[in-house]
Amino acid sequence: MLFNSVIFLFAFLPITYLGFWGLRSTRARHIWLAITGYVFYGYWNPWFTLLMLFSTLVSYFAGLGFLRWTDARHRKLCLVIPVTTDLTLLGFFKYANFGLDTFHSALQLFGQQITLPHLNIILPIGISFYTFHTISYIVDSYRGNIKPTRSFFEFAAYVSLFSQLVAGPIVRFRTIESDLEALGATSRTRWLTRGISFFIVGLIEKVVVADSLAAFVDPALAHYHLLSSGGAWLAMLGYTFQLYFDFSGYSTMAVGLGYLFGLRIPQNFNSPYKSLDPSEFWKRWHISLSTCLRDYLYIPLGGNRHGDYQTYRNLMLTMLIGGLWHGAAWTFVGWGAYHGALLALYKRFGRPWDGLSRGARQVGMFILVVVGWVLFRSTSFSMAMSLLHTMFVPTGGLLVEQPVLALGLLTIATWWAMIGPNVYDMQHTFTLRRRVVLTAAFGASLALIVGSPFSPFLYFQF
Amino acid sequence: MKQPEIAANASAANASALPAGARGMLRTRTWRAGELASVLARSAEVVALLAIFGVSFEMTARIQDWVRFRMPIFSTVTAEEDLMVRDALGAHGRPNAQYKKWIMDSLGLRGAEVPVAKPSGSVRVIVTGASETFGLYESPEKEYARQLEDTLNARLRSGACAGRTPLRFEVLNAAFPGMTLPTVSQDVRARLARLHPDIVILYPSPAQYLDVRAPLAATPDSTGRSHELPRANMLHPRALDALRDELKSLMPGPLLSWLRVRSVQAELQQHPAGWRYTSVPEARLARFDHDLRDFVGSTRTIGAEPVLATHGTAFSRPRADSAALIQSWERFAPRATGNVIIAFDDTARIATMRAAADSTVLVADVATALARAPGDNFADFVHFTDRGAGIVATALAPTIIQAAGRRAECGR
Repeated sequence: MLFNSVIFLFAFLPITYLGFWGLRSTRARHIWLAITGYVFYGYWNPWFTLLMLFSTLVSYFAGLGFLRWTDARHRKLCLVIPVTTDLTLLGFFKYANFGLDTFHSALQLFGQQITLPHLNIILPIGISFYTFHTISYIVDSYRGNIKPTRSFFEFAAYVSLFSQLVAGPIVRFRTIESDLEALGATSRTRWLTRGISFFIVGLIEKVVVADSLAAFVDPALAHYHLLSSGGAWLAMLGYTFQLYFDFSGYSTMAVGLGYLFGLRIPQNFNSPYKSLDPSEFWKRWHISLSTCLRDYLYIPLGGNRHGDYQTYRNLMLTMLIGGLWHGAAWTFVGWGAYHGALLALYKRFGRPWDGLSRGARQVGMFILVVVGWVLFRSTSFSMAMSLLHTMFVPTGGLLVEQPVLALGLLTIATWWAMIGPNVYDMQHTFTLRRRVVLTAAFGASLALIVGSPFSPFLYFQF
Repeated sequence: MKQPEIAANASAANASALPAGARGMLRTRTWRAGELASVLARSAEVVALLAIFGVSFEMTARIQDWVRFRMPIFSTVTAEEDLMVRDALGAHGRPNAQYKKWIMDSLGLRGAEVPVAKPSGSVRVIVTGASETFGLYESPEKEYARQLEDTLNARLRSGACAGRTPLRFEVLNAAFPGMTLPTVSQDVRARLARLHPDIVILYPSPAQYLDVRAPLAATPDSTGRSHELPRANMLHPRALDALRDELKSLMPGPLLSWLRVRSVQAELQQHPAGWRYTSVPEARLARFDHDLRDFVGSTRTIGAEPVLATHGTAFSRPRADSAALIQSWERFAPRATGNVIIAFDDTARIATMRAAADSTVLVADVATALARAPGDNFADFVHFTDRGAGIVATALAPTIIQAAGRRAECGR
């Protein structure tokens, strides 16, 4: 089920909302959120709810184990067993075919002709996200950063919380624990206007901006080899903003939905295209992922505590794994390596960069990010190389469809992403003017939803 | 300061004349002036916001239609049916009309503008029939008429017409949804003749012969009443249509199935027992056969070469959703059971082949080509996907080239 669908807006959300506030106790609300989370997830494929339930049960019992045992051996078992289980599931569903294909290619490289099977595996939507939720819960429990919950339904509600279940933000238990525990006493109206406002702003980002950009980006990149240099730049700039508004829109809607249910979900985007350097970019882009990678990977690897070389190595490793987390393809690994290299280079040669003017740094960083998105969007390295060649070596060919409209959309998207306010900079009190704007925006979004072809969120695939 | 109180809907004098219970009810409806003003202001605001929502919803839908299809923001065309007009020439496509992706030219044909006079060196092919030919579910430019033109011209380039090579094939689409076979023949005689086609292809819809009444030619209308669509149509809410379609698509399968069955039962209840066909109705089949031959005669009368095509359905290959599809087809042809509809279509295929053989007309067995082609060729029981339309075009192309050869337009 998508947030930008009629079934969600007019059936699932009202029922879930009324049911939730019709219940009084914390426990009842936990149960309700867990049930609705499974309905939300099962609407796509009911069988995969069993996978999520299994992952939830394993992590929940591990949490109980941490409460029961204090000795290192048992605690280590409670860490290793569920984390291994979660990673095995993720590895099988997401990376099995990638591994087989890579192994096959490697054998071919050495002249071995062996036919390996291609497994018919359907990737469960959001598995990367809820696996992150359960693993962060286990690791934080092991480290003593959180006290595991005894309530199964509280934990189930946390893992299956529909607002952030399939595409984040990655919400760590410690950030939402207090809200979950106070769910029975929370006020319905306290965050209501903020929740509605966030949700509608997110809807505009996704439906009005991202999907409109997709209308010229997708056909252009489907025939990338026919594009001229101008066409390639327009398509890639379009994709750069499409990806941002799509994912940021989803996150903003998720945060808004959280508010509607008395849950404060953390900020996931902070105008990343306003960044002046690679380090700042990763503090503004997909914040929940980058903080998780920092806390669970970069710092345990040693962070920047063991000299320059170790720091560069840790940055590269973290970003490589971050790239692989996004998708089972070498282009994602390449994208991770590219950003790892940018971070390392900035760490080493940051001073001259910082000496440039603010405008030059913002534009420069933006172009570097666009180049990275070429790798991210491409289905193969040859596509990426071809696109980069077209972008940087003057080439004749086609422009995008409806170029005037595309330019208009790009201008709006550029202003909003690089100069304008993000949702956290906006006022969320319901003044008359704001009510009028939000009502009109909701009307426009709804018209686009019912009149457009199916449009899933880009980050659902990760 | 104490606010003056006013009665919402009755004066104090009137209230005193009422029984005690009713007076009590009235008392509860007594408002303070400030409260009343506040309620009125809130109500006005809700109404205003709803109006803003509605206007925004509607205008966005219209702008989206313009961006996606270049459909005028204010158009009198509100549905596919408006793309058809009935005038002195009979029923045919409405000239210069557009509804979303469906664009009619100034001659009332689906597609880009073509001159009335045939360009020299080209073979003019007209395809005609009902919604299958008009194209419903295909992407723009992917209906079989367009794909046929591309296929024919590609074959032309690869030497299919060696000898007397025409410059190009030109395929015109004269079909519209629900066009009956007698109306097709009427259209060929009254309207298409002036386009001087070389070849006219008919892709018939046999299930029309299972309608409550056998299909007739549309009665020409010289009154001019239906020629222009009402200007008030410009205010027709397009967004609501889209919302209704969206809600329909979300309806659970069992509910949809129940509604279809109920619709058929409601139709059956209006007729005596035995009204429904439980076997292929021979009289209707004979009528189909007669109308096919009439089409052949009409086409020859205008000096064009007729080509017949057999009709394919989604049921020639096993599908998981066959039961639901047949149920939805029954809703459109309630006079026959699902099995009879399919059997009638099969029999109509044989009748088409026989009529072609008797009249020495070329026939393309599109039904068999579709049955042999794996994949999703149908978007519903009879209408094509892009892929299905491609198969139809591929199946028709050799027959068209052969027909062009008969007219010495092609070398072989």
